[in-house]
Amino acid sequence: MKLPLGWIREFVSLDADIDEICARLTLAGIEVENIERVKPAFDGVVVAHVTAVERHPNADRLSLCQVDAGPAGQFSVVCGAPNVRAGITAAYARVGARLTAGVHGQGGTAAIEQAPPLTAAVIRGIKSDGMLCSERELGLSDEHKGILELDGGTLGADLAATLGLDDTVLDIAITPNRGDCLSVIGVARELSALFDVRLNEPRIASAGLRGGAAVAGLPIEISIDAPDLCPRYAALAMAGVKIGPSPIILRRRLELAGMRPISNVVDATNYVMLELGQPLHAFDHDKIGGGRIIVRRAGSDRTMVTLDGVTRELTPDDLVIADANGPVAIAGVMGGQGSEVSESTSSILLESAYFEPMTVARTARRLGLRSEAGYRFERGIDRAGQVRALNRIAKIITEFAGGRAAGPIIDVEARPAEKRMITLDLAAMTSLLGVEIAPLEVRRRLRALGAETSSGGRGRLIVTAPTFRPDLNEPADLAEEVARLKGLAEVPAELPMRPAAGPLKPDPSRQFARATRELMLGSGLTEIKTLAFIAPAENERYAGIAAGDPARVSNPLSAELSEMRCSLIPGLLGALRFNLNREATAFHAFEIGRAYVSREGIVVEGERLAAVSYGDYVLGGIGRPSLAADFGTAKGIIENYFASLGGKPAAEYEAADPAAVPYLHPSRSARIMIGGATGGYVGELHPREAARLELDRSCNLFELDLTMLLAYGPTLPGPIELPSRFPAVRRDVALLVDSALPAAMLVGSIKEDAPLLLESVRVFDVYEGESLPAGKKSVALACLYRAAERTLTDEEVNRAHAELVDKVRVRLGVELRQ
Amino acid sequence: MVFYVGKVTAATNSAITRAKTAERPRLNNSQDRTQMIEQLEAIRERALAELADGADDRQIEAVRVRVLGRAGELTDIMRRMRDVPHAERPLIGQTVNRIKTELEARIEEMSARIREANLERSLAESRLDVTIPGARIPRGRLHPITQTIERMLEIFTAMGFEVAATRDVEDDFHNFAALNFPPDHPARDMQDTFFLGGGLLLRTHTSNGQIRVMEQREPPLAVVCPGNCFRRDELSVRASPMFTQIEGFMVDKIGRVTMAHLKGVLSEFARALFGPSTAVRFRASFFPFTEPSAEVDISCLLCGGRGCRVCKQSGWTEILGSGMIHPNVLRAVGYDPAEYQGFAFGLGVERTALLRLGVDDMRLFFENDLRFLGQFQASSERFA
Repeated sequence: MKLPLGWIREFVSLDADIDEICARLTLAGIEVENIERVKPAFDGVVVAHVTAVERHPNADRLSLCQVDAGPAGQFSVVCGAPNVRAGITAAYARVGARLTAGVHGQGGTAAIEQAPPLTAAVIRGIKSDGMLCSERELGLSDEHKGILELDGGTLGADLAATLGLDDTVLDIAITPNRGDCLSVIGVARELSALFDVRLNEPRIASAGLRGGAAVAGLPIEISIDAPDLCPRYAALAMAGVKIGPSPIILRRRLELAGMRPISNVVDATNYVMLELGQPLHAFDHDKIGGGRIIVRRAGSDRTMVTLDGVTRELTPDDLVIADANGPVAIAGVMGGQGSEVSESTSSILLESAYFEPMTVARTARRLGLRSEAGYRFERGIDRAGQVRALNRIAKIITEFAGGRAAGPIIDVEARPAEKRMITLDLAAMTSLLGVEIAPLEVRRRLRALGAETSSGGRGRLIVTAPTFRPDLNEPADLAEEVARLKGLAEVPAELPMRPAAGPLKPDPSRQFARATRELMLGSGLTEIKTLAFIAPAENERYAGIAAGDPARVSNPLSAELSEMRCSLIPGLLGALRFNLNREATAFHAFEIGRAYVSREGIVVEGERLAAVSYGDYVLGGIGRPSLAADFGTAKGIIENYFASLGGKPAAEYEAADPAAVPYLHPSRSARIMIGGATGGYVGELHPREAARLELDRSCNLFELDLTMLLAYGPTLPGPIELPSRFPAVRRDVALLVDSALPAAMLVGSIKEDAPLLLESVRVFDVYEGESLPAGKKSVALACLYRAAERTLTDEEVNRAHAELVDKVRVRLGVELRQ
Repeated sequence: MVFYVGKVTAATNSAITRAKTAERPRLNNSQDRTQMIEQLEAIRERALAELADGADDRQIEAVRVRVLGRAGELTDIMRRMRDVPHAERPLIGQTVNRIKTELEARIEEMSARIREANLERSLAESRLDVTIPGARIPRGRLHPITQTIERMLEIFTAMGFEVAATRDVEDDFHNFAALNFPPDHPARDMQDTFFLGGGLLLRTHTSNGQIRVMEQREPPLAVVCPGNCFRRDELSVRASPMFTQIEGFMVDKIGRVTMAHLKGVLSEFARALFGPSTAVRFRASFFPFTEPSAEVDISCLLCGGRGCRVCKQSGWTEILGSGMIHPNVLRAVGYDPAEYQGFAFGLGVERTALLRLGVDDMRLFFENDLRFLGQFQASSERFA
């Protein structure tokens, strides 16, 4: 919210400079985000009286004016404005004045120093000592039909000072709890409390006609049918209003506060709203049907046309202001077109009401109608400020729009405000803040905010919260007020005793994630982070590990980000593509993050580890070719990973079902089994997908369910096996088996029924080729025999090896390769 | 008597042939001892002359074969010993052995020298360009956000906080209502929410962690909850629809955890993270779930507090929000505010990471450009 400091200073006299003011406000929670110093677009312009006007002897459309600038002197000026006439007060630019907008407002220089000084000119043979200025020439608006007419002012006084053009605008961020500070008086009150100076509450005279004097003949009857949504509604009828522009000083203030001037009546409602925080609305009195205002729920009224010309759908619970014929305004949100003040309006009805924040917020949000008034109602305005605001606006309209009260202020209070009394225990406040504040200071600070305090005995204060501070409800709220006014810097900084919660619990998931990351980094994978939002098409392609439907975002930023990812793979592939587009030739990356699936209305989120490995993996360096990532290098990373978990859990691999992972190469993909369940997949990206992504090298992926792994608990060291001090003997065997037989099955079968002396068996070569029968492959196994306590003899080893070979031949029906 | 028996190679064969054809000194019975000794001395001198520095391995081998070989000169003399009178034999034998030992030593010395020279030569010939990179798997890099989170958690755990993971998908109660956000309250506008349907939403802050942990446990508690948060902001220089927060809170009996403690813990944290000379200030603010509430600012890292473009001339940069847990929040989890109180804080990891890195573009964290990520160390803290 923007407020000119000059306006604020009308309510509080401050000696402090602007930086001090902003710093104190900011530290107290009224954050000054920006300070804008505004300067007039002119220099050397004074207030002057036009004493005489006659026609220019040589030009029909020019006038020769006599100008009285008080102490500055009397001047003779040629003027072309149609509205120049004797008796008006105008802005007179003397010889030597500077106008950044230039004469006729068409020059235009950035800084006043660059503008050429005005010189005495001879216009059609008559000398002109300076000029009378239009608003455009003064840089005040685009108005250039005539010269600016002032409403009084001291003759010869500097125009900039008279209009308050030399000012500082504070751009203040008001937190949602401080609706009271959405006004000049509210900020002034903060400053008075912070600087310990008096707040000059505006003295506002009562405006309405006394008694039921209906002499003006504008009777109106008001009733509140929804006291739960509108506890108080006040209104004042005014007659004899002449709609026109507002005086420059009022317009100027509205503009500095970021509002657009519209007409004197509308501007007055905005002006008072900015000044006192009470939103006001002006109806054209003549268009209020039946002389009645009813504040009620919309009920069966389904639509109304708001003053922006849009037909709005209403729900039965929306609060509306209705006349005898139907809704004329949506309460606190927007007025209706039918009752709008127009240029021909002469009598008005001014509304000043309190609407409950929730009803305004709900309706405004649903209709997408955000307004300055709604903004204030939503945050809670002064529960008791309605009549004062009517008195204030009545004065302004009388002054600037020629209106007069046409009846008494009608003030209907359907539900009286409750007094909020809070018992503040000073010892409890000390416990909360960690610093003791003297009771006298507490009372002083709370009173400065408009609260009333009285002693509650035994270290307690009874505090009555001001009507304009709906946020003060609890002792903690009052503690905050005292602390922030005193300054949070006054609260000491101390380290707490660690709570006696027993020894710190290790955090297995964090340790697990750290160990996982460490291994991935060592395996050459760089950690990335991608958004959890994804396009539905990506979820269709990459369904992930867990069964379920994608979780859909009801209000996504875009269709491309409308679902939650089921798998981390699309994000990784996106990052791969992003980097390849930027001349990268290899990309090895992993992500640890969550994947989401929806099952029976519940969204299950699980931790995943996923990786993509593309391009050169082992760099060859000197005299050796690089090794590109392939299925084997990707699987190797996973094997290392499970090895790092100490075999708990252990992973098993089997050829993946292409239907489950259609994005993987059907014969180069494995399901990773953990305890018999699917723990993840590893494989080469399907060539179709690779082509779609325009990848020209083998792209390898894996994804693991970390939540599943974590369930196995932390890896504890097992019992230590002492290494044998005796030598091992190796015997190799090559078996001729069906091409489709997984080598792991061969090894598994051997291990299942192994001779006692067998220490280990591993595959060291697989061969398929012309020398072998079709559909067969040769698997070469290295078998290591060893005894713990002695050196084996050749005979023993031969016997054990022969037994092993015989068993596997019989069991799997395979042959020895000759 | 031991003779050197060399491996017979093509080179030694030809040397033997040459030695056989060379002129051989003759002894006969009538020749006296002196003559034989002279002959031996002559053999020695000639051999030593040929074994002078600079002799190559072929020359050395030729000398060895001619003098020490099976049919060599010394062998020949020994063979002729039977012609020498008995009394003379020891002297001749000693002389032969002395010369033989001397020549063998000289030959060994020369051979060693040549072997050394040959090795040197072959070492020089196998020289590599050591500036060419080695064979390796380039180590991966840790994402700067992870580094920042880890550093922050290290500081908090050192101060006695536990770490707890909490969920991303929440209900209204845990993300808003229990945190004292009334329905339709404008405070909810501060955090534009993604909804998933069925009453579910994506958490807008990690403050749900407070509720989740307090619901399940009793005070005293000191917990930090890191995690993803989601708000309806387009990915841009300033914002991201997904970002990381760390929520922290401490709850204990009244008076044991005060606002002074909040200031102590967060000041300590800021100095640990940003350096011991960092100035910290607490600025009153508003959060529905804390009362009193305070934003925490640190002296601008760029200008040190003098005022610059980054801190908008204020000299301060906001790093986190904090406050004393609102009594309504304690009530929502079934704690009695007359018995317990505590503080809570929440900090944005990306913002802090940007501050520490001195860059100003949120997108960098989610684009995953290797040219950006490659600048971070593999695992340790860049700015520890």
